[in-house]
Amino acid sequence: MLCFIALGVFAFLSLFSAKYRPLAARAFSCVARKMTLRPCDTGLDEEIKAASIAGIMKFSPQAASFVNRRFAAFSFAFTLLFFASFLLAAQGIANFAIYGNCNGPEGGFCIYSGIQNPAFLKAPSTLQGISAGNESARLTVFEFGCYTCPYTRDAEDTVKFMLEKYGDKVHFVFKPFPLPTHPNSKWAAVAAACAWEAGKYWEYREAIFSNQSYYREGGDAAFKATAARLNITGFDGCFDAKKFLAQIETSISEGKECGIYGTPTFFVDGKAFVGKDAAAEAKAEVERLLGVA
Amino acid sequence: MDADRLREDFPILKAGKAIYFDSACTTLKPRQVLEAERAYYEQASGCAGRSAHALAKKTSEMFESSREKAAAFVNAAPEELVWVKNTTEALNLVIRSFDYSQRKKILTTRLEHHSLLLPIMEQQRRGIVKMELLKTNPDGSFDEQSIAATIDRSTALVAIHHTTNTTGMRAPLEKIIKIAHDNGAAVLIDGAQGVPHSGVDFRRLGADFLAFSGHKMLGPTGIGCLVGKSESLEKLDSFIVGGETVESVHIGKVQFMKAPKRFEGGIQNYAGAIGLAAACDYLSKIGMKNVEEHEKKLAKRMIEAVQSVPGAAIYGSPSSEKRSALVSFNLKGVKHHQVALMCDSLSKIALRSGVFCAQPAMESLGAPEGAVRASLYVYNTEKEISLFKETLEKIAKLGN
Repeated sequence: MLCFIALGVFAFLSLFSAKYRPLAARAFSCVARKMTLRPCDTGLDEEIKAASIAGIMKFSPQAASFVNRRFAAFSFAFTLLFFASFLLAAQGIANFAIYGNCNGPEGGFCIYSGIQNPAFLKAPSTLQGISAGNESARLTVFEFGCYTCPYTRDAEDTVKFMLEKYGDKVHFVFKPFPLPTHPNSKWAAVAAACAWEAGKYWEYREAIFSNQSYYREGGDAAFKATAARLNITGFDGCFDAKKFLAQIETSISEGKECGIYGTPTFFVDGKAFVGKDAAAEAKAEVERLLGVA
Repeated sequence: MDADRLREDFPILKAGKAIYFDSACTTLKPRQVLEAERAYYEQASGCAGRSAHALAKKTSEMFESSREKAAAFVNAAPEELVWVKNTTEALNLVIRSFDYSQRKKILTTRLEHHSLLLPIMEQQRRGIVKMELLKTNPDGSFDEQSIAATIDRSTALVAIHHTTNTTGMRAPLEKIIKIAHDNGAAVLIDGAQGVPHSGVDFRRLGADFLAFSGHKMLGPTGIGCLVGKSESLEKLDSFIVGGETVESVHIGKVQFMKAPKRFEGGIQNYAGAIGLAAACDYLSKIGMKNVEEHEKKLAKRMIEAVQSVPGAAIYGSPSSEKRSALVSFNLKGVKHHQVALMCDSLSKIALRSGVFCAQPAMESLGAPEGAVRASLYVYNTEKEISLFKETLEKIAKLGN
């Protein structure tokens, strides 16, 4: 049974080193024979068994004897575990690619997050974006956010809190960074910019965050309906003309240059915080720098 | 004979890379052999018997002097020694080139290596010969009573081992050769496991042909010898023909050379032959009597060691007097490949496992699935056997 695991392991290692390819070929032959209910004839299964038992024997002869007698059962269990963990890992990678977290939209601890370290992010060099708070404050907080992303929505209460409590001491700049995995995220950014032009940005922003799925699914009609409800004049013309699309693209480019890999990403005095807990961490950093912690 | 001192000559042993118990497959090579091979490439590197320049002459000298040494090693004349690739080629040469026009029966045994059995089986498949088997017992010994009854005047050739590669036991050659010759049959000896381990005297043995390999007697791979009585060699048909096998060639008319050149088509393995001659020198310096004595001691210790391990079963006679330092065995409850692989993993002991290219032999010995084989040589010591025993005892516990 272990040749199934060997095939996976050696095939993967073969991508990096040719010395593993003959082993992968032997494992493949073994798997092919097992799949057709014939015994493995490459000897690989015996080599794995001997190496495993010898390895255990160096530490405990009793354990080696125990495993040797039940090797088929252990092999079966390990093979099942291998496939289960392989499937879970594949699911995690897919979630990570789509949602930026291996657990999917619900979030939680994700081991792959270590691959993308906030320490390697670069703070933005321009103040372009939606500006709030005290523009002449010494401390600037940047947020790269996606209007239709659940994590950016979850951060909103903390953002509001920071603006209300420390707005006189902090300059806050929101930079739209619509994620392609969230439907209509870019058009939400364009719509919000049109609302900003009409002086109704924060109302519009709140409307989107209060019902993200409506905008993800509703598209143009939803954006226009909200503008109508908020009495934003000239919205449809601005939106249909994609007036701020270029500005949004510039913001995306800037985010990419900074190395943004997930939203929301906050920069507080150059230090980056990413993901689900980023807002709370950014708030704590702001309070530390302001000496109010 | 001081095995500990000899070990200094073997780079692999000096580096402490393994306890080498797989000498029946191929032996390790001493630096003297490696240096001799290197000397050919550095000092001569020409073609023997063809070109007339100095390097070619030097090659011819080295090559022919190697023939003299290899022939002398088995007490044969240089013109009786044909260079071949290995024992397999030598056996194929005789079995395929022998004259079966008068008699078609070839006698052999179940105990033979595939290299001897397969050429006979192929000749039988082509309808050229009729193969018959001499009776052997389940312990690998011969049913000596039946030998005289089986070899008769229809027998063309008796092809048989000197020493088997499965049990290390020797065939009763004197008796077989006498009966064969009394009946006008020729005898071909597979000496692959015999020549390296005992002082085989071709002339005293009286066989018609003797085949052996260089790499099983400290020499290089890719070189072996077919030794044959001159009149027996001359009776063989051509085998591999080509450059240097002929006196003259005209379209439609070829004048072949006499043996042994007639069988040595194309550029030969000069370096291999020179290396094999160095191996013969090395063994001669030790003395084949001493080699035999040393192996007898090792065989006794090895048999005692394996027999003391619970669940171990040895194939062939348990008497060390009747075998070379080669022991095949199985452990109860642990597969032979696992035993060999674990010995390698645990103690760097190199063993062979399987049917040893002798499947019918292993079937007749009662180990159709195979066994583990420990085969020792001049460089092995009793200390190594002790470590082997300790390792086997650990592994045996897995099956008990």
